[in-house]
Amino acid sequence: MLRVDLHPTHVSEDGKYHLRVGKPLPFGASIVPGGVNFSIYSRYATSCKLVLFNKHEQKPFCVIPFKDEFRIGNVFTMVVFDLDYENLEYGFYMDGPFDPRQGHRFDKTKVLMDPYAKAIGGRDVWGKTPDWNDIYQHRARICFDDFDWESDHPLETPIEDLVIYEMHVRGFTRHPSSGVKHPGTFAGIKEKIPYLKELGVSCVELMPIHEFDEFENSRVSPTTGKMLMNYWGYSNVGFFAPKAGFAATGKFGMQVDECKTLIKELHKNGIEVILDVVFNHTAEGNEKGPYISYRGIDNKTYYLLTPDGYYFNFSGCGNTLNCNNPIVRNMILDCLRYWAADYHVDGFRFDLASILGRDQNGAPMHSPPLLETLAFDPILGKCKLIAEAWDAGGLYQVGSFPAWGRWAEWNGKYRDDLRKFLKGEPGSLGGMAQRLQGSPDLYSWEGRGATASINFITAHDGFTLYDMVSYNGKHNEANGENNSDGSNDNYSWNCGWEGESTDPAVNKLRMKQMKNAVAMLLVSQGTPMILAGDEMANTQWGNNNAYCQDNEISWIDWSQLDKNRELFNFFKKMIAFRKAHPVLRSSGHFKNRDYMGSGFADITWHGQKAWNVDWSAESRMLAFLLCGMHAKGGTVDDNSIYVAMNMHWEMHGFELPKLNHHMQWYVFANTDAQPPFDIWEPGKEVRIENQNEFLVGPRSVVILVGKESK
Amino acid sequence: MDIQTSKQDGVTVVALSGNLDGNTVNEAQEKIMPLLSADTKSLVLDLKGCGYVSSAGLRLLLMAAKQLNSQGGILVLSGVCDEIKDVMEMTGFSNFFKSFPDISAAVAAVRKGGA
Repeated sequence: MLRVDLHPTHVSEDGKYHLRVGKPLPFGASIVPGGVNFSIYSRYATSCKLVLFNKHEQKPFCVIPFKDEFRIGNVFTMVVFDLDYENLEYGFYMDGPFDPRQGHRFDKTKVLMDPYAKAIGGRDVWGKTPDWNDIYQHRARICFDDFDWESDHPLETPIEDLVIYEMHVRGFTRHPSSGVKHPGTFAGIKEKIPYLKELGVSCVELMPIHEFDEFENSRVSPTTGKMLMNYWGYSNVGFFAPKAGFAATGKFGMQVDECKTLIKELHKNGIEVILDVVFNHTAEGNEKGPYISYRGIDNKTYYLLTPDGYYFNFSGCGNTLNCNNPIVRNMILDCLRYWAADYHVDGFRFDLASILGRDQNGAPMHSPPLLETLAFDPILGKCKLIAEAWDAGGLYQVGSFPAWGRWAEWNGKYRDDLRKFLKGEPGSLGGMAQRLQGSPDLYSWEGRGATASINFITAHDGFTLYDMVSYNGKHNEANGENNSDGSNDNYSWNCGWEGESTDPAVNKLRMKQMKNAVAMLLVSQGTPMILAGDEMANTQWGNNNAYCQDNEISWIDWSQLDKNRELFNFFKKMIAFRKAHPVLRSSGHFKNRDYMGSGFADITWHGQKAWNVDWSAESRMLAFLLCGMHAKGGTVDDNSIYVAMNMHWEMHGFELPKLNHHMQWYVFANTDAQPPFDIWEPGKEVRIENQNEFLVGPRSVVILVGKESK
Repeated sequence: MDIQTSKQDGVTVVALSGNLDGNTVNEAQEKIMPLLSADTKSLVLDLKGCGYVSSAGLRLLLMAAKQLNSQGGILVLSGVCDEIKDVMEMTGFSNFFKSFPDISAAVAAVRKGGA
């Protein structure tokens, strides 16, 4: 079809470029027949110019003002014809008032990045020192959106069936021991897919992959002399672009294709992808920070400002994105839709999500429109939405995050209660019982169910699993903040020696405690999340806040895998066990009664005596029985599973509940036993001689399967 | 960019030399696409003289391959250097092509009926 709008209507002042009025939507830069459509919003700018650069060049080759007739409402939009868009970088000059008390900080001398940039140059290769004289540090680019997904589709695995594996894209394979061809990249993860499959995880949660600046606040560590960087990347430059420095092909500008290829390959192997998204602040910091984009485009729209025009700091990072301003709300929605539709992402984990529920003055809202919009959005309709249900401004909403039946939460109470129980802290039984059931105390209201709970013991924030059983206190000196950063509430126990130990008894106990932890995690209702590397006892030498450590502290050391095969094997079989038993994966909470006529309630509690738990503060023993006939609300049949947890330092006998006729107890796991008797292949459990009592070793977990005797 | 077209054992071979990127992709497209008439069943694209293929270049190759596939034909590559191969692997383009060390191997494979 011939289109009239293939023909320009205007010519740029220098006579070189043909133009016409653009389309205001979609925002950003879009390839259209014959040219590129540029569209950008600013409510308070008085004028706007498009600035065009050749890739990597410091001087623009052209500056084209938006003519008056190219502004529609508060949107500047124009088509520029005949651009070599593969070699193009573009930005904007915006003119307008500089009046901080009124919230305006326009500076017409700054080149500003498009908030909707789909690819961003300037940090193409991770860690390569930028040219600080460049007037345009983070450079918007145009990318192809025609990736061939073939028949790929987000997997839509029920959330209760997931085993999530949280990883940092760079940290996962950057260590030389990873053995991949392109360490520290999307391509590196792709090479490790066979490993992920062997482990059995069904979802990877990637720490932030939106473009950020690893050089933000970079400095030399006073203790180690190493460069400290913004390694984690919880500080967005742009929301629509994948981090170029995470792609081996970033130097060729092909990060979009590399990232999509990774997602496509993960899907092919049955592994979902959840992105950790950071909508609570940007990399522009406070009033002393740089002009990257938002501040110079419409400061008052994008940021929460105090009455004096300073930046509210609910994020702990200098500024707070104005999430419930309608413009910003739409940007966030556009962004998530883009990642869901164009990248086939399966879900999102929202960093400091409570900020998304604050109004434009910073006060928490009852029914935050942004969270409601996301919960009901048609394009996000099958995406997992997971909140980190707190913020740095003191809002803590675990159990009360506005959910509309759609939102799950990182369950911080799960982490704390399990750790307390694991270390044998008195009075921890009641909390632990709730956590094992998918936290009905937190999530039974409004029928949220066990699927609202993302259960985890460790995450990027805090100790690794090995460090949790090896350090009583944090050791963050290398971060250069006198060990004052990072959490002090770790509920960790070093098993008798602080840090690395040569004492076999200490190391043996640590191994057992790690097995205990993962065993309890994987028999809990809700969705388990594992921190990458925990399965090989990865250490950060006690650093519980490695956000700035782009080095061996935070890179996974794959040589640990050979040394800790025993632990890897235990993880792998526990994951397989969870997959094999639907009774461990209820979406709803237990009813605490026998509605299947099996003679057992769906869950029953036991102790040293069957049917009898000592709930007193000094008790450290707990057992429970899941009736197989009640699996998934009685809709599927499964074996019954009995789990005995003895967190006391002495061995105790646990009387076993008597099974129905023909059924017998088989042992699947016993963390007190040495390999290969610590854990069995699911389905190949070994029948136990004494069907009446099991001696559970000191600080040990035993898992039994009740099934028909052969 | 130098683009040479020849026939080898009845198979059309297009040899590209230079960089296939935003600057040259239109020229290459203008030369390659007319070769894909409805009765064309096979094409060998030789990249031996090609040091770099950009995102736009890879898209041209894929478009040509899809065009041939849709008419029951096949497009194969030959002489792809390791770096380009590696980039194609990481960006997913390698899934769509068979690649051979040189033109004669590619032609032989195509003649055998689809590599």
